[in-house]
Amino acid sequence: MILLESHSVIINDVLTDRFEKASRADIQFVDYDNVRFHLSTPSSKTQLLLSMGIQCWPDLIKYGAREHLQSEYEGYLLPQDQTEPEYDVSLVIDLEKLPGTTEERSALISKLAHLKSTAMASPFLSAFAEQSTLQANYKEPAGAQQADLAPAGEKGELKIVKYREEEAIYIQASHDRVTIVFSTVFKEETDKVFGRVFLQEFVDARKLNALQNAPQVMYSNREPPLEIRHLPGLKNGEDWGYVTFVLFPRHFANPSQALATINRIQLFRDYLHYHIKCSKAYMHSRMRYRVAEFLKILNRAKPEVATEKKTATGRSFRTR
Amino acid sequence: MVSLQSFDPSRSNTLRPYLNAVRATLTAALTLENFSSQVVERHNKPEVETSTSPEVLLHPLVVSRNESERVLIEPSVNSIRLSIAIKQADEIEKILCHKFTRFMMMRAEGFVILRRKPLPGYDISFLITNFHSESMLKHKLVDFIIQFMEDVDKEISEMKLSLNARARIVAESYLSTVSIGSSSDFVSYVSEFLP
Repeated sequence: MILLESHSVIINDVLTDRFEKASRADIQFVDYDNVRFHLSTPSSKTQLLLSMGIQCWPDLIKYGAREHLQSEYEGYLLPQDQTEPEYDVSLVIDLEKLPGTTEERSALISKLAHLKSTAMASPFLSAFAEQSTLQANYKEPAGAQQADLAPAGEKGELKIVKYREEEAIYIQASHDRVTIVFSTVFKEETDKVFGRVFLQEFVDARKLNALQNAPQVMYSNREPPLEIRHLPGLKNGEDWGYVTFVLFPRHFANPSQALATINRIQLFRDYLHYHIKCSKAYMHSRMRYRVAEFLKILNRAKPEVATEKKTATGRSFRTR
Repeated sequence: MVSLQSFDPSRSNTLRPYLNAVRATLTAALTLENFSSQVVERHNKPEVETSTSPEVLLHPLVVSRNESERVLIEPSVNSIRLSIAIKQADEIEKILCHKFTRFMMMRAEGFVILRRKPLPGYDISFLITNFHSESMLKHKLVDFIIQFMEDVDKEISEMKLSLNARARIVAESYLSTVSIGSSSDFVSYVSEFLP
């Protein structure tokens, strides 16, 4: 498995099962970036309550997450005051009022399984919307004198989503692009070095012809990129990495394209760290094998212990 | 016989003589005998480690291939300490080398002759005492050291290659999912999401 899935497999499986046959449930589980889920049947078997607790909810709500979820999960989303305590969003699914056809049901399951990515999508979508309005209002600078006056005003609002305790996503729209900056921390020396190798490959991979259309990727460690340098409280040190994606309108040209891009981009950090861990595990298994080989070579140095020789019938010789 | 390795100039030109020099030095140094401590009664410790009686220590010797790759051989009357500095061209190799030697040294009881800590300035150290050389075949011990030196370089560069290859595949498959697309019905779509 190279790519990570953007939906939650647990929600997918449990709902598929429950849609077939209603039964009690009380499951708590987690997803990437400290997202907690609780799937339960508080009142009756047919009333499924799915709640999600997400760390960056205060940030998301600023960028219209509630409204976005409202439109996406029309009829399922519970109002703010009925949300399960300790969680941020609650959905109620009535198993008696499910859509009839199998296709509609599986579409609903997949939509519900994307709850986390849908919630996280709102800042991206509003940045994309901002970009289009900026593009509409943008006038080509008439002369060289005006060109240097222009840039200040044409930047969209800088959106900050603190998706983990120390790490954040920064999203900024401008008239011809949307810039997304990830800050990520490498907790270990090895992770840091491996992370640098991986990020360098992300930068280099774009040189391939097949990937000419991919978003531009830049990375810097220690120094935060210029877009966000003015922000207070930014960490810079050896173990910090900043990754910048530059999305052009073609990356979010139509709804499905935009959704695919958002689902990919928001999993970037998990994807990177997942593969760093994977390579560490692979190195470890290699070392295990190699050390066993060395041990074999060393054991060749030990002379064979003379064992007692036996005849075919099982008797042994004895020296007298 | 012409082997593939002989076409690689760096290997045939310098690695062979380097390993041959280590082999010869080590074989010559491996003349160990049982020797009880002169300082503490009923002690029989590797003299090269305790170094309490300077008269039983022989001249240490460095066999060096280049700045970063060298072997220090410290012989004494009943023990010999061999320390290897492994080539580390960049940060990745440094990390990989560190991980690998650490992994081995944590299993030092399996490798009877491996020292649990390397000498400062070196990556890995072996300590061969007269008990080892009596219970094991001397030339096979030397073979092991030489084989180790050959394989450890190979292993580290292979690990580095596989890391790079993995990073490349990971980056390409990620970016290939977020490319393409060029139509312009975007504005109408986004307006639905405007608050």
